[in-house]
Amino acid sequence: MRRGRLVFTISACVAAVLLVGACSGSFGMPRGASEQAQETFQNWQIFFIAAIPVAGIVYVLIAWSIVRYRRRRSDPPGALGSQRTENLPAEIVYTAVPVVIVVALFVLAIRTDDRVTAISPDPDLVVRVEAFAWGWRFTYPDGETVVSPPSGEDAAEPVMMLPHGETIRISLTSNDTIHAFWVPEFLYKHDAIPGRTFEFDVTPTEMGTFQGHCAEFCGLNHAYMNFEVQVVSRQDFDAWLGQQERVAA
Amino acid sequence: MRVATRYFVLLFLFASVAGIVYWFITYEAVGTILLLAFACTPAIIAVFAIRHGSMSGRRPEDDAEADPATEAGEVLGPFPAETVWPIFLVLGTIVTGASLVYGLILVPVGAALLVWAVLGFTRESRG
Amino acid sequence: MHRLVSTDHKNIGILYCVSAFVFFLVGGSLAEVMRTELMEPSRQVVSNETYNTLFTIHGTVMIFLFVAPFATGLANYFIPLQIGAPDMAFPRLNLTSFYFYIGAGVLVLLAGVAAAGQAAAMGWTAYPPLSEIRLSPGVGPDLWILGLVLVVISNVLNGVNILTTVFLMRAPGMTMWRLPVFTWNMVVVAILGLVAFPPAAAALTLLLIGRRLGGLVYDAAAGGDPTIYQHLFWFLGHPEVYILILPFFGVITEIIPVFSRKPLFGYTGFLLATLTIGMLSTGVWAHHMFTTGVIDNPFFAAMTLLIAVPTGVKFFNWIGSMWGGKIWLAVPMLFSIGFMLNFLIGGVTGVMLASPALDYQAHDTYFVVAHFHYTMLGGSVFGIFAAIYFWFPKMTGVMLSEKLGRVVFAMLLVGFNLTFWPQFVLGQRGMPRRYVDYASGLGYDTPNFVSTIGAYLMGVAVAVFLVDVWRSLRRRTPAGDDPWGGYSLEWATSSPPPEHNFDELPKIRSLRPAFDREHPELAP
Repeated sequence: MRRGRLVFTISACVAAVLLVGACSGSFGMPRGASEQAQETFQNWQIFFIAAIPVAGIVYVLIAWSIVRYRRRRSDPPGALGSQRTENLPAEIVYTAVPVVIVVALFVLAIRTDDRVTAISPDPDLVVRVEAFAWGWRFTYPDGETVVSPPSGEDAAEPVMMLPHGETIRISLTSNDTIHAFWVPEFLYKHDAIPGRTFEFDVTPTEMGTFQGHCAEFCGLNHAYMNFEVQVVSRQDFDAWLGQQERVAA
Repeated sequence: MRVATRYFVLLFLFASVAGIVYWFITYEAVGTILLLAFACTPAIIAVFAIRHGSMSGRRPEDDAEADPATEAGEVLGPFPAETVWPIFLVLGTIVTGASLVYGLILVPVGAALLVWAVLGFTRESRG
Repeated sequence: MHRLVSTDHKNIGILYCVSAFVFFLVGGSLAEVMRTELMEPSRQVVSNETYNTLFTIHGTVMIFLFVAPFATGLANYFIPLQIGAPDMAFPRLNLTSFYFYIGAGVLVLLAGVAAAGQAAAMGWTAYPPLSEIRLSPGVGPDLWILGLVLVVISNVLNGVNILTTVFLMRAPGMTMWRLPVFTWNMVVVAILGLVAFPPAAAALTLLLIGRRLGGLVYDAAAGGDPTIYQHLFWFLGHPEVYILILPFFGVITEIIPVFSRKPLFGYTGFLLATLTIGMLSTGVWAHHMFTTGVIDNPFFAAMTLLIAVPTGVKFFNWIGSMWGGKIWLAVPMLFSIGFMLNFLIGGVTGVMLASPALDYQAHDTYFVVAHFHYTMLGGSVFGIFAAIYFWFPKMTGVMLSEKLGRVVFAMLLVGFNLTFWPQFVLGQRGMPRRYVDYASGLGYDTPNFVSTIGAYLMGVAVAVFLVDVWRSLRRRTPAGDDPWGGYSLEWATSSPPPEHNFDELPKIRSLRPAFDREHPELAP
């Protein structure tokens, strides 16, 4: 009985931890600062919430088996357990239910993917992003550019300024090896591959400064290839743009 | 071999179907070739097993009522005790491969080791 | 000397297991250095270059030189015993596979210690263009490629050996449907190896040709495509992770029924699940490429979610095998339970990663690092320790210490979770993988610190384990033929078995011939 109480206490603590995480609702993921990110965030919440009963049931069953069916001192030596090897109804249920769950998760996953990767026929702004070892070049429509200074541990991070609330088309490529453009608070990354250009849309919903990282190992200074995304009002954005260097197309 | 042969046939069917479905969903060449090529390996094994009659005939290990005593004393063949030739085979392979990095001069050395190792293996088999 | 040239499968099995464990110590030491570097922001224990080499060699060693060969060692030792055969089908080929593995190990280690600027530092996945000659000059990557080609050869030869042995050398009455689960799982592993390794050899050969002979397959500027490598590599890469876990699914499926004093629950279902996993695992490879934009994400999301089903079903086989039993929490059983607890988290996070949108956030971050360590360390390595505590008595005739075993288990379980749970948090907060350093103030500091403490704890656990092995070999507490009341044929002979394995084979009428001989009143 003491053991049973111990198992119960441990389970209660674990459940409490999970609940605390759950109540914050985000389960560890940033809430997302763009429209596309809202879809991803919801997807995460649902997958996480689905995982809790699955993991919970399995853990409880394991714990219960150990507690309930533990060999006792009072058992004769060599005592055997039940010799049952099959239970067709149970086997069918525990195969069919996961299939149903998986199908539901698939439908959800594809719906989310479609929405996150949808590109608008008429973006408000197109920014060309070139990744290189080890920095970034952001080029705006009239040729204004922002380029990384020489890289290294203390290098300043280039800033990609974006107007709030508008649909921005990012056109991404690499000049040398494979890199990846990642803004954790946008809940999205994409590989930058030499010889290819990828396009995706971001519609920022919050103003502020967001950290960006290179997320595909690219050599010596991979960890120092960071950048910042600043989302400001349209007016501030226009003002900033006017001050950037213009490079001939 | 019956169970195994059936699994190989199943793998062949799975890979073929997956490859075809994959092509018409994605039109992506590399994955399609990989899946269809993957289908070939189990197919070859299955065809060989079926043609050589491994599917038929009751071997003692497939007989659920067989007794080890019935096969006691069966001679399976010689089991070699010790051999040094694997070491030389591997050395030969490494040296030959390293020639791509350290220069073609290594090719004759590696090839010589390989040939010597293969000869050694063969002579050892002949007893 | 005899041990190095003997073709006896038991000897080769021990050679594999011991060598693999040595590589574990090497790979683990590299990890401890990495965790020390990451303990605090701006800490510089090693240079950037060295750090990149560290994680390259760590990954390569752990996957190809530790976990897989350890499973191969167990397979070589126990498959002939479990099927009632005197040896493997091709004993000299067996030794050849072993030496190809050792040759590979030497090459990979050399690749890591090559002079500055020359060492292999492109990650164990070695994607071009980074791994091409211009961006990775030096001989390290070439030696690494050669090493992996030798790994491929070793695995293919071994796969041929395993399949031939199991198909054609079973004892009378040992039908395929009475094969112990460990042997069945190794059959699927062998088939996967035969199918999946050649494309990786192709990927690596093309890379080597590109590096040394002017090949342009991966060169975008010349009309080639670096993502071809990713297809070829991951066509092996994904089945490889199943090659790493299936043997240990097999191991704990041997252990759990024995230590519950029950037969395995749902043998047929379990086998069907294993065969399905083997089949499906070849169709999921590009879920490693969701962020590349060059593949059809829904196809691979579907396949990946599908494979979660047979994997999950196995948990119910294990629970069913415990339910209604008389559970004996000996050390092998503790590690098996630890395996289940850890692998569940690995599996569930794998399902999360199967959703492309979630992968866009988690790919190439510490979330993924945590996920695969939960499956490979929390899963396979716990399975390795379970196998050691279960089968060491059979292989040596000597028992390991229950007390020290419990200590090792507890430290490993706590240390492992302390190390990797915070890494899920790190990934979601935004820390990419393969980063030698990170800025403070981004929320990465505490999880990294905790993770390093956990890593040190794991190191201590392994040290205690080594002490246990050393003391047990000196103390020589005799194990007898069957210390656990085991089910499969290896427990029906002496510990260690004689050279020809069996003086006399029991009648084989079920999955549990050794048990049936001890319990004739229950025999079918």
